[in-house]
Amino acid sequence: MSFERIKPHFPWITLLVLVLLVGIANPSFFDPAGLLSLVSDVVPLFIMALGMTFAIYIGGIDLSVQQMANLVTVIATVYLANFGIGVALIAVAAGFIIGAFSGFVTTRLYVPSFVSTLAMGFVALSAAKYLSGQRALYMDAELRDASFGWMFGRTAGVPHELVIALVLLAIAWFLQTRTTFGRALKAVGSGELAAVASGLNVDRVKILAFAISGVFAAIAGLIFSVKLSGGDANLANGFLLLAIVAVLVGGTPLTGGVGGVVNTAIGTLIVMVIRAAMVYLEIDATQQQMVFGIVLIAAIALTIDRSKLRGVVK
Amino acid sequence: MTDITAQTAPRARWLTRERIIKWAPLLVLIVLVLLFPFFEWLEDFRESKEHLYLADSRFFSIRNAARIAIASTPALMVAIGVTFIIIMGSIDLSMEGTVSVCAVIFAFAFIGWGGTLTSWAWLAIPLALLVGAVLGFINGLVHVRLKIPSFMASLAMGFVGTGFALLLTGGDRIRVEDDLFRSLLTVRWFNFPIMCYVALAMLLIAWFIQSRTTLGRNFYAVGGGEELAHASGLNVSRVRIMGFTLAGIFFAMGALLAVGRIGIAETATGNNFMFISITAVVVGGTALWGGIGGVWNTLVGVLIVNVINNGMVVIGLPSYVQDGVLGLLVIAAVVLSTDRKTVSFVK
Repeated sequence: MSFERIKPHFPWITLLVLVLLVGIANPSFFDPAGLLSLVSDVVPLFIMALGMTFAIYIGGIDLSVQQMANLVTVIATVYLANFGIGVALIAVAAGFIIGAFSGFVTTRLYVPSFVSTLAMGFVALSAAKYLSGQRALYMDAELRDASFGWMFGRTAGVPHELVIALVLLAIAWFLQTRTTFGRALKAVGSGELAAVASGLNVDRVKILAFAISGVFAAIAGLIFSVKLSGGDANLANGFLLLAIVAVLVGGTPLTGGVGGVVNTAIGTLIVMVIRAAMVYLEIDATQQQMVFGIVLIAAIALTIDRSKLRGVVK
Repeated sequence: MTDITAQTAPRARWLTRERIIKWAPLLVLIVLVLLFPFFEWLEDFRESKEHLYLADSRFFSIRNAARIAIASTPALMVAIGVTFIIIMGSIDLSMEGTVSVCAVIFAFAFIGWGGTLTSWAWLAIPLALLVGAVLGFINGLVHVRLKIPSFMASLAMGFVGTGFALLLTGGDRIRVEDDLFRSLLTVRWFNFPIMCYVALAMLLIAWFIQSRTTLGRNFYAVGGGEELAHASGLNVSRVRIMGFTLAGIFFAMGALLAVGRIGIAETATGNNFMFISITAVVVGGTALWGGIGGVWNTLVGVLIVNVINNGMVVIGLPSYVQDGVLGLLVIAAVVLSTDRKTVSFVK
């Protein structure tokens, strides 16, 4: 059995091993209630990573997700009183527009995606600071419960957050595997030049991929904002690294083309288990970033498809 | 070939693409420097106050020039470091982590070894530069040996660096209060504090490396065409790793000046350096594709960024506008410096 053959199975094997290790060391990890709350805590991150998957799947990256979510936390908090549940629509629209603009800048203006999304992230940050007046804002509890209280209920013991995450996963999975757009994504991710040559409108596919990434980041921001009952231009800071890690340890390589949204679900669970393990091992929260940075390097090195880099790694 | 040149009008030949790209940043800087005083003049004119254009400007004064220069120095060091990398066609996004780690280690060593430059604590300066070099070296190693694209390798290393700095400080701020060290900021020669002259000296060193050493020329060779450089016998991997190491040293220099400026070393010392330095390099006219530009471009770029930041405050625009303006500026700069005929697609 060669390494290349087991490579696609690597993510879930990793997850299984990690779960077993943590479970053996700390049997209370398997406590259903605790497990359920761990999973629902990771929902905003998961949704963000889900969107990021599309950007990475086509071989790009979206560094604006964190700022996008920040902006949406502010939008949601500021406009909750005026529009009620309608802020969800505004949030999604904002995500779509900013994401699509990043995509436009990347494809039509030939700016590499890590620069265009980084720059758009700062535009979003600017907007967030403007809207929030550079203060931490809080939601009115009654208004919040009236519009978004349903997000945090439980039906038959299942947190609604988890249901939202699963519905979004299903939508993303449907998009990726059952639509022509999904096939086009795969074509672009596997070999952009070939996709162009076969007459695909590659620019449109890529712009849409970035727009989807923006939309999911916006939804993540919305849920995060409702969860913390507030908004702030720095609220979602720290999510970017974890979102990239979740996508990559899930097995969607930076070079794109393979992996996908289900992999990202596994990747997010791996991130969750690592975090739980760190809490159990009493590793300080301040060390998390270092640990995940190293995990990230390892994940990239293991998954990246070097044949696609055509000899030159810039 | 000859046909084409024969048909080109002389005027078009004078205003070539290369020439425009070469001088546009400087032109933008000059326009900006003249623009902000104009807004000030306009405001006073509306309120019918006495205001002589430039002469009465708060922006266009030595005092404000020094302010801009002070704000520019740490960013200039970091931006020079990343200039070498961008000339090679790679990118380094690890500066926030590296600057934080260097600043924190410097502060700990400085205080631990005596707390004043007259004691053995001066050794903290070479130590910080060494730490920067080591971090850059690891960065280059991860990029070259593991064959990870540089933006991702360095981004990840940056996260590790910030995490490491946080681990060292535990979230605390370390004050560096030695008068001699702080004289970087407090002692002024000809209206400008010493740190500006230090930065100028480093700029000249960087210029020397870029134009008068084999390493500097190799950066351009790698950026101009890696396969060609490789085919002509250049050890591209080594050049790359050395480039990242050199960048690390300049990041450490930026960290030292940042600590000298504020007097505090903390995990947040490195914040914002990534975006400002990349913006400065790109706006200065160094192409992201490599092979074009240099440290003088970076000086112009850093000044453009800081003139915008400063000018906006002077004419009374809220500070949050800056992030957005810089974001759009960096996109515009990359767009203008990209020759679309040579680029097939970007990721």
